[in-house]
Amino acid sequence: MKGFASGAALILILIAGFIGISSVFTINPTEQAVVLRFGQAINIVREPGLYFKFPFVDGVVRIDKRILALDLPEQEVIASDQKRLRVDAFTRYRVIDPLLFYQSLGSVERANEQLATFVNSGLRRVLGESTFQQVVRDQRTQLMGRIREQVNQQAKGLGIAVVDVRIRRADLPEANSQAIYTRMQTERQREAAEIRAQGAEAAQRIRARADRDVVVITAEANREAERIRGEGDGQRNAIFAEAYGQDQDFFAFYRSMQAYEQALGSNDTRLVLSPQSEFFRYFRLPSGSAAPAPATPQ
Amino acid sequence: MPWSNQSGGGGPWRPNPGPWGGGGSGGQRPPDLDEFLRRSQDRLKRVMPGGFFSGKKGILLIVLGLLVVWGFSGWFQVNTSEQGVVLRFGKHIRSVGEGLHYHLPYPVESVVIANVTENRRLEIGLRMEGAERSNIGVREVPQESLMLTGDENIVDVNFAVVWQIKPGGAADFLFNIQNPESTIRAVAESAMREVIGRSDLQFVLTEGRQSIERSVHDLMQRTLDEYLAGVLVLQVQLQKVDPPAQVIDSFRDVQAARADQERLRNEAQAYANRVVPEARGDAARILQSAEGYRERVINEARGAADRFNSIFTEYRKAPEVTRERMFLETMERIFANTDKVILDSPGGQGVVPYLPLSELGRSPRPASPQSQNQQPVIPQVTGPRPANTTGVPR
Repeated sequence: MKGFASGAALILILIAGFIGISSVFTINPTEQAVVLRFGQAINIVREPGLYFKFPFVDGVVRIDKRILALDLPEQEVIASDQKRLRVDAFTRYRVIDPLLFYQSLGSVERANEQLATFVNSGLRRVLGESTFQQVVRDQRTQLMGRIREQVNQQAKGLGIAVVDVRIRRADLPEANSQAIYTRMQTERQREAAEIRAQGAEAAQRIRARADRDVVVITAEANREAERIRGEGDGQRNAIFAEAYGQDQDFFAFYRSMQAYEQALGSNDTRLVLSPQSEFFRYFRLPSGSAAPAPATPQ
Repeated sequence: MPWSNQSGGGGPWRPNPGPWGGGGSGGQRPPDLDEFLRRSQDRLKRVMPGGFFSGKKGILLIVLGLLVVWGFSGWFQVNTSEQGVVLRFGKHIRSVGEGLHYHLPYPVESVVIANVTENRRLEIGLRMEGAERSNIGVREVPQESLMLTGDENIVDVNFAVVWQIKPGGAADFLFNIQNPESTIRAVAESAMREVIGRSDLQFVLTEGRQSIERSVHDLMQRTLDEYLAGVLVLQVQLQKVDPPAQVIDSFRDVQAARADQERLRNEAQAYANRVVPEARGDAARILQSAEGYRERVINEARGAADRFNSIFTEYRKAPEVTRERMFLETMERIFANTDKVILDSPGGQGVVPYLPLSELGRSPRPASPQSQNQQPVIPQVTGPRPANTTGVPR
């Protein structure tokens, strides 16, 4: 009997424990939950901790409380200036109303599907109203904000708050990229040609300048040289004038003698002389009393 | 990471076993407890056949022992680089640093440990392949690295983000974000493209590196803070910033053109540097030669003048004689050195009948010079026959 009693006690304890365990549940920091009684929501739990429920009667639906990731596949969008863009966006959202979420969507997978369509249409709408430049350059942040607003509006009824919609990539389709590459290439070629030409220009300038300097320097030197030579010549004249001015007659004679000697000193001079000349005065007569005749060779 | 799995409602919860692990696993499933108790009781009975511990006392002892083990399972160790987040029934009640700590055993409390000081690195535009993070298997990912610049060019950018869990932000990091790694990656890419999209190609390629790194860093941090991600971005490192492979040759050619420009300029400068000093040298030579000329001319003139003066001084003493002497001496020197033809033409007809004179015996002059003092021998030629000429050197 004793064994039966203890066995029954053990079973009772176990049943009690089981009931106890099924009447509590914990909510982790990453979760929130909707407590359902016969399918009807009776409680919403948002804070982590230990909670009680009726065992077997109440069910707990746990819903993620974290910021959830939704990465959209790349899609092509046409901007208002007819340029095509391949846009790759991602969305971060969280469930703010678990009950609404549970009622309207039920699971994160469904939520992702639903949101993806919202974000896609939002992207197309907002980017389609903007120009390519605005998307890429000027208003990316504002555009992303507008998409977020629109998606938020739509998602409100689903118990979802969109934290952020961001354009991860906004690129051109392959064909346009090729066009850009070609343009970049031609731009560089233009630039390179310009740089080379500028180099040639600079080189020409430098050379021309150098040549000019050479000419100027030489010319100035020649000018100065001429002046100096002239100075020399002038002084020479002055010296001669002073010396020779003492007796013009003698100077004429003296200089003539020098000139004759200089002029006739070379080998190829041939003189045809007359014995009548003054030089040969004593040729004929020792007394030399001939009539004076021009003696200089003409 | 165990908490990063996607399954929605259930949550990725798992107990932390702690260093004396496994303590709680028995008590967790009531049906097994029954079995377990019975079996250990049997075992005890077998070990101690005396039955000393049998009965209620024995069971009590065993339960006590199990309680002690269960109690000890609350110890856990936190390494120096880690932070432990202690949860009581899922509620975050405290965070602990390095050392040995205790939490109430499962299922009351549990701990999640995260490495908070480890610098984690995220490569964008490159993928490390292979098991280790070595540079062996680096593969480029063009769809990540090619991006549009503000002036509608395309640039090839690889960068790395170094981040860690924010000090004190372990709970945020663990519980707030579904997919931290991929979120950081997406935010990094989006931020980089946004910043590059605002900049011009030339700026990106040249002086923009630092400011781009800074802007991306700020933008990432701001976005992640909005998500309450508990992430601290330590550094954004731009690695490769190049024009795309298709056009890089043209860009290199621009560099080459710059070098060419420099080279042409230098060559021209070298030419100038050679030619101008040469010209200056030439100028100096010209000037020097002119001055030389001046000095020479003046000195020659002085010399000649002095000579004249000396002669003139003597001349004045005996003008007639000196004049005669000078004349004769000069003629002597002239005639000594020249070919001579002496024609006796009393009628004074001149030399015309005897032309051409140039064909008169132009014999080569004897090479042997004679002494200067020698009296010239002047052959006399009489009559119309042309004289044989004899050059007599002085």
